[in-house]
Amino acid sequence: MPAASAHSPLDISHSSFDKPLLEARGLTKKFPGVTALRAVAFDLRPGEIHALCGENGAGKSTLIKLLAGIHPHGSYEGELRVDDHAVAFHSIRDAEAAGIAVITQEFALIDELSVAENIFLGRAPRCGPLGLRVDWLEMHRHAAVLLADFGLAIAPETPVHEIGIGQKQLVEIVRAIDKRSRVLVLDEPTAALTEHEVGVLLEHLRRLRAQGTACIYISHKLDEVFALADRITVLRDGASIVTLPTRDTTIPAIIKHMVGREISDLFPRRPVAASASKPIFSVPRPVAASASKPILSVPRPVAASASEPILSVRALTAAPTKNAPPFLRDITFELRPGEVLGFGGLMGAGRTELLMHLFGAWGHRVSGQVTLRGQPFPAPTPRDAITRGLVLVSEDRKRYGLILPQPIGFNLSLSSLARFTRTPPLKRGPQDGLYTRYLALIDAPAEHEANQHFFTSLRLKAPDQHARVGGLSGGNQQKVVLGKALMTEPTVVLLDEPTRGIDVGAKLEVYELINRLTAEGKAVILVSSELPELMGMSDRIIMLTAGRIGGEFARADFAQEKLLAAAMGRGAAQRGE
Amino acid sequence: MTVRSSPQFLALPFALLAIAVFFAVKEPAFLGPRNLTQLIVEFSIVGTLALGMFMILLTGQIDLSVGSGVGLIGGIAAVLVFQHNWPAPLAMLAAFTAALVLWLLMGTLIVKQRIPSFIITLGGLLIFKGLFWLVIQNSTIPVSRGDQDNLYSLLTTYYLPSHLGLALAAIVAIALGLLTYFARAARHTHHLSVPPAARVMAQWLVTAAALVAVAHLFNQFRGVPLSLLILSATAATVYFLTQHTPFGRYLYAIGGNEEAAVLSGIAVHRVLIGAYVLMGVTVALTGFMTTAYSGSSTTTVGDLMELDAIAACVIGGTALKGGRGTVWGVILGALIMTALLNGMTLLAVSPEAKFIARGLVLTLAVWMDVKLSR
Repeated sequence: MPAASAHSPLDISHSSFDKPLLEARGLTKKFPGVTALRAVAFDLRPGEIHALCGENGAGKSTLIKLLAGIHPHGSYEGELRVDDHAVAFHSIRDAEAAGIAVITQEFALIDELSVAENIFLGRAPRCGPLGLRVDWLEMHRHAAVLLADFGLAIAPETPVHEIGIGQKQLVEIVRAIDKRSRVLVLDEPTAALTEHEVGVLLEHLRRLRAQGTACIYISHKLDEVFALADRITVLRDGASIVTLPTRDTTIPAIIKHMVGREISDLFPRRPVAASASKPIFSVPRPVAASASKPILSVPRPVAASASEPILSVRALTAAPTKNAPPFLRDITFELRPGEVLGFGGLMGAGRTELLMHLFGAWGHRVSGQVTLRGQPFPAPTPRDAITRGLVLVSEDRKRYGLILPQPIGFNLSLSSLARFTRTPPLKRGPQDGLYTRYLALIDAPAEHEANQHFFTSLRLKAPDQHARVGGLSGGNQQKVVLGKALMTEPTVVLLDEPTRGIDVGAKLEVYELINRLTAEGKAVILVSSELPELMGMSDRIIMLTAGRIGGEFARADFAQEKLLAAAMGRGAAQRGE
Repeated sequence: MTVRSSPQFLALPFALLAIAVFFAVKEPAFLGPRNLTQLIVEFSIVGTLALGMFMILLTGQIDLSVGSGVGLIGGIAAVLVFQHNWPAPLAMLAAFTAALVLWLLMGTLIVKQRIPSFIITLGGLLIFKGLFWLVIQNSTIPVSRGDQDNLYSLLTTYYLPSHLGLALAAIVAIALGLLTYFARAARHTHHLSVPPAARVMAQWLVTAAALVAVAHLFNQFRGVPLSLLILSATAATVYFLTQHTPFGRYLYAIGGNEEAAVLSGIAVHRVLIGAYVLMGVTVALTGFMTTAYSGSSTTTVGDLMELDAIAACVIGGTALKGGRGTVWGVILGALIMTALLNGMTLLAVSPEAKFIARGLVLTLAVWMDVKLSR
């Protein structure tokens, strides 16, 4: 019954305060072959935070692009109204002029410019006789005030490429807020933030709300939504399903609306004994190759601790470059087959750097030993790592994971091509030679079949494996990156924020996949900023703080407060850089 | 591999047709066997170089040094033949080796020292030019002594006897048929969908008929030119490399997203150096052909050819940012570029106007590339 408010908000209140600031009526947007939005109704009142929830592909991004003028007026059916007047946005500029600022998942900052320059992009303070000179002093002063106000310890002169992904997000929010926008649209603003930074952000949004700024808030993190939003609108398959005041609903109810079914347990526990079925994530080979069948049925952690470590890291100290001071210090841990080892910590604690370093993609090793399957692993490159069965799924899938203009199949098999090359009958050279690695004929049908296998078992939502990766939703892109990593038949899988920015359904599939991997005897390192996820999926958790180990916890000792205390350097309030 | 359906794929043949009709109306000799043969030799020269450039552009790099390189490599071989009396094959082998070494060096500098390829190859452009003029002493060095033909001079003046040309067309047609058949059979064994047999058969028949018709057309004048065979072999090799080997995939991957390529386990440095070495191979082939075509090595041989090669690639839909492009596109692009130049020469257009036209075509192609990249 509360859904009625979505259609006619004026009916429930006649006060001018509740008059919608922004209203969408019967929005329908069609793309070739897909209807992204079907008669969507949505309204935003002044001074409210209105959350949009829905799985990836539900139409949230399309709706935002309409509001932001990215899909111009005329490319859709239905009506957009601001202050009770129909509006026609032909560009982002039009939307901005109407006071709508959109902060998307893709960062709109210019890497080469400083933080201050980005905040004041296109509206730098001027001075001088004709107002021609940029007033750098004023710009930096003002930027410093804004940043301090947001609790950001960054110098305004810092180039944007030197700050982390979480800080970039905050800088974008600072920029939008300073533009005095009336409507702030935030698309997954906390996907890259640590709990502390999320807290700061939510506090600022509440303050802005008190000052009358309205906000459309999109997040997959429902606890955040419930902590913040006044009303929630659920989209599913392009249609607005329901709009509810937050106080009248619950997280399970919203999830039910989002997926159209009930999800009883968000973090499925791993099966006690692996079912004796054939491993799903191994590549089908054209010739019978029984030797490659992964070991099945590795028991739960108790027994796993008895087996030999698959990866052992001792007193590892590493620096960003050869002459820089070390950033990771004295890291020691072991990883056993069938185990999920979680790494937590604040943004900048060194989780990503540790994973990238183990994979051979970051930094210079100052000291310490890494042993992979009993063999020393001194100075790896990603290529060596993959050859030896260690693979990384990066946190930034668009930058480090995918060749966006290429099809799904191209991406899936990219790390495993040498497996599909044919050696000519007369020449039986070394399997690892220049020829098989680069110049031999790719057995296209065999490759296609393997890709198809992964396409199906990952349940990728796309017409077929020839669809371009760039056009897929976040969850499907993440599946492609995972598929690419798994096709290399790894024994150690490093997952850096594998569920960032993907919807509940896709998250569940990622968790199930982790369970299947460990059931096959593979070992997983999981990095996550979401403590419930980390606690739900890990057998052990190590918290990093400023490049060091802040504490190690067995499953029995998992408690949010303890983990957080370890992440902050045993409760000390100082933040890592 | 993914651009087949782009509007450019159909636009190119139409553009070519329009150009051909325009010049044929202005000067009917344009479509005569004599001029067509000449056009095909010029096309082979530009096309071979463009195919090397194609692999460089796919990775998002560029090579501005190839024009001077073409002159230098052709010059080295000419000097060895004419002044040092080396047998032509040996002289060409020596010059070929020089090209491999130079491009290996440039490729290594670009990836190991992280100097942008634009700068390194711009340096190469000037250095090779200087070396070239030094090698030929600013004079004109014929590619053969006296009137004796050698392998070098025959590169662009040898034509297959008519029956051999037809036989070759038939052999290529049969080979294509067999390849199609085996690829189809392989897809069958892997339970993959196959196009209907009737359509495949019809496509093959059309291709075979076209091959024989082309050979027949050449036979009207002197026969199938040897240089066309060099281009065809180069194109087949580049096609195989880019579409059917890991190396080719890596070229596309590096151009699409270099960081992701590194993290996918691709030895990006090796692949890039490989692309530059292959560029060296096509520079050598083009150097020999274009020097042979002008009969002697003079200071202007190879001038601005780097721009023709880049233009051919970009007209054919290769993205300057890397990661997109097809061999067919490059071939058509080279054909369009050559047809324009050849037609203008035939119409006795002044050199000034030709420069401007070349510039306009290049600008237009890059503009289209930018539009398409969005």
